[in-house]
Amino acid sequence: MKLKIDGIICEGREGETLMEVAKRHGIHIPSLCYRKGFEGLARCRLCLVEVKEGSRRRIVSSCVYPIKENIEVTVTTDEIQRMRKNIIMLLLLKAPNNSYINKLAEEYKVAAPERYMNPLDDENCILCGLCVKACEKMGTNAISFVNRGIYKKVSTPYDDASKDCIGCGACAEVCPTNAILVEDNEGKRKIWNREFNMVKCSLCGSYFATEEAYKLMQEKLNDNEEPICNECRKKIAADKLKESFANIY
Amino acid sequence: MDRNKDRRILVCCGTGCLANNSYNVYLKFKERLSEDAEIEVKPIMKSTGCNGLCEKGPVVKILPDEISYFKVTVDDVGEIVEKTIKNFETVDRLLYYDTNSGKRIKSHKEASFYKGQLKIALRNIGEINPLSIEDYMERGGYKALKKALDMKPEDIIREVELSGLRGRGGAGFPTGVKWRTCSEYKDQPKYVVCNGDEGDPGAFMDRSIMEGDPNTVIEGMIICGYAIGAHRGFLYIRDEYELALKNVRAAIDNAREKGFLGKNILNSGFDFDLEIVRGGGAFVCGESSALMASIEGNVGEPRAKYIRSVERGLWDKPTVLNNVETWANIPPIIINGWKWFKSIGTEGNYGTKVFSLVGKVKNTGLVEVPMGTTLRQLVYDIGGGIINNRPFKAVQTGGPSGGCIPKEHLDIPLDFDSLKAIGSMMGSGGVIVMDDTTCMVDVARYYMNFLAEESCGKCTTCREGIRTMLHILTNITEGKGEMEDIELLKEIAETVMEASLCGLGKSAPNPVLTTLEYFKDEYIEHIADKRCASGVCKNLTSYYIDENKCIGCTICSKNCPVGAISGRLKEVHVIDEDRCIKCGTCAIKCPRGAVRIGGMKVEA
Ligand SMILES: Cc1cc2nc3c(=O)[nH]c(=O)nc-3n(C[C@H](O)[C@H](O)[C@H](O)COP(=O)(O)O)c2cc1C
Ligand code: SF4
Ligand code: FES
Ligand code: FES
Repeated sequence: MKLKIDGIICEGREGETLMEVAKRHGIHIPSLCYRKGFEGLARCRLCLVEVKEGSRRRIVSSCVYPIKENIEVTVTTDEIQRMRKNIIMLLLLKAPNNSYINKLAEEYKVAAPERYMNPLDDENCILCGLCVKACEKMGTNAISFVNRGIYKKVSTPYDDASKDCIGCGACAEVCPTNAILVEDNEGKRKIWNREFNMVKCSLCGSYFATEEAYKLMQEKLNDNEEPICNECRKKIAADKLKESFANIY
Repeated sequence: MDRNKDRRILVCCGTGCLANNSYNVYLKFKERLSEDAEIEVKPIMKSTGCNGLCEKGPVVKILPDEISYFKVTVDDVGEIVEKTIKNFETVDRLLYYDTNSGKRIKSHKEASFYKGQLKIALRNIGEINPLSIEDYMERGGYKALKKALDMKPEDIIREVELSGLRGRGGAGFPTGVKWRTCSEYKDQPKYVVCNGDEGDPGAFMDRSIMEGDPNTVIEGMIICGYAIGAHRGFLYIRDEYELALKNVRAAIDNAREKGFLGKNILNSGFDFDLEIVRGGGAFVCGESSALMASIEGNVGEPRAKYIRSVERGLWDKPTVLNNVETWANIPPIIINGWKWFKSIGTEGNYGTKVFSLVGKVKNTGLVEVPMGTTLRQLVYDIGGGIINNRPFKAVQTGGPSGGCIPKEHLDIPLDFDSLKAIGSMMGSGGVIVMDDTTCMVDVARYYMNFLAEESCGKCTTCREGIRTMLHILTNITEGKGEMEDIELLKEIAETVMEASLCGLGKSAPNPVLTTLEYFKDEYIEHIADKRCASGVCKNLTSYYIDENKCIGCTICSKNCPVGAISGRLKEVHVIDEDRCIKCGTCAIKCPRGAVRIGGMKVEA
């Protein structure tokens, strides 16, 4: 079906969200909690856009809004820009020292009222939910949202070291604000209040995964070979490619 | 004594009255009557659901005499039996005291509290034993189901649609339209859900209905199931509502026994059954999509509703979800027809609404009135006006995220659209009356504090917006407010309203925005003058004695809990500011109104 985003005619399929269609057409919609493969969170509220369906205008979250034939979308109106600024101001109050949020605030020319900012606040989490989703996707479900309202946070059950956690670090990798602390040190990794032993790459000798994560990976891939880190795997693949090219020519 | 043949003694055993020992009153009646050889024909005893006057409970009604007794204790039972049951006399001291006329009234139905009321949803409550399906049937129960099963599903939907019934759970969505759209989806299975979460702490009409007349909800749900082609339904009931859970459970069992639930209902070939799900506890769980997530066993978080639950609701299947009170309106509509229903209420807002009237009014309780009854009628005619005849200040309607309505709007008709137009809402039907001892800034702070804990915390605007508004309001009530805070509050409130995901976030700023609009003076007074005129915000309150008014009666100094007031008999008294803990007792006790409330510093 056809729709217009900021005047550009776009093509989309039934059931696709507005965000997906925009991305595919190279149209930028601000977002913090959207990521391909992790759809449906709708938590950050930055992705609001205006949709005109017939004569009706309304503001929708583009990351979960299923497209309709012939709608006309405006990514940024004055009203939406004002809301985004206010949302960023609220995020700045939540995580006043986070560099990513500060950059965003600079970009949007947003300042938060100093009286309501705590300069010592070391909060970095903006509760976008990507980490929880990543953990769920790994099949480990070691972290989740706990509490509700303003006391909501992401944590392991009872804030204890989780027996389900495999230390894979997928949560930290997807986090837009770098809020999840991963400390790798001399063959040990500390994450979510738990310490893991790491596995060495059999080729380059660098520590690249926790034992638990490596085991899971092996089970999933049905692979019994020596541990090889991602970098080395890439190198091997590239070498093979080069070799096969060399054989052709 | 033959006259006792038709007599019934109804003892209220709703949650409120039970808490005041009504079950023992009931037992005492039974015991006393059975022991008494003089009473040959025993009157029928019933324990009923809530009469809506819990504050004056335990309530005992004697029919057909139409005598109602209030605050009945176990010790009163003997006297009632002797005087009323044996000798047809009334026990005057237990009668209802009508605050409007200043008289004791034999039947509560003559009381002004009852006169403006019209009972549809509450029609059986207080009249029947909720555990007896026969009682319900005696009053016409399950006749609507029989009638409906002889109708075409399409005709049932049309009946509900034409009646103009709108959902009583808050948003006022047309019930018939909801049923019709759901009936048009062919996907199976479909579900029928009853929202009995009632998360507003000030409201208790849904609890009363589930406790006092559970069969009406069940009957409504079966009719809907038949109309939309669903075979399974869920009643989501607030976990703390133990009596409601018990009575609904019993009603489901009874209905199954009578063949109203289960396979081949009344030989119609239609199958339908119901299950109970215990609620998750948070206010947000009453929101339809959070409620469905909770039934599915997931975290009670709302989702975006671009695809409506009539298409994809519970387990992504077509679902009709209605509120308890909405369900209770269905059987009467089927029996009496849409024209009857539409003749009640006002244009676009038909039928009645149950309100729980609480706060600083003389008569509190559950009140069912035709839509369009004015706020003034509710507060003054039915509620009997403000306690101690103090000045009326505001009414908060619609639950924690409703708005505050000032005096200027006392003549507003109570219906979905009028309330919305002035920045409040119908919501749960909670009505909290406030007098001049209420601080409106503190009211806004109170509700933000409630919502801060009772929202789900999923989206940035609602979670961080409420947190920040609470921070600002706390500052203002503590005397740390600045003028620019007013603009900031407004700015945040508007974004929270527009950008939040669910109905909670979209309505959460109502208490802030309405108090800012109607009581801006109070904000300014708190910020600029550092003064809370109602004496609620302790940091912004001081008490002093007006020397021209003080007669030196010493009442204040005798009542001061910390001995901060000095002065001899017949001489002007003085409050020691350093010792005063700002409890406000002196201001209440002074017979001359000589104790004045000042701001942060003593002004005199
Ligand atoms: C935060 C929030 C809380 C709600 N709580 C309740 C509730 O406790 N009971 C209820 O019936 N509806 C509640 N609702 C409304 C429901 O979402 C839904 O609209 C209603 O149950 C539909 O039934 P109705 O059409 O019969 O009113 C709530 C809505 C919101 C946004
Ligand atoms: S608006 Fe509030 S209650 Fe509703 S989904 Fe967002 S955070 Fe949860
Ligand atoms: S990207 Fe849509 S709400 Fe975060
Ligand atoms: S419980 Fe008896 S009147 Fe409410």
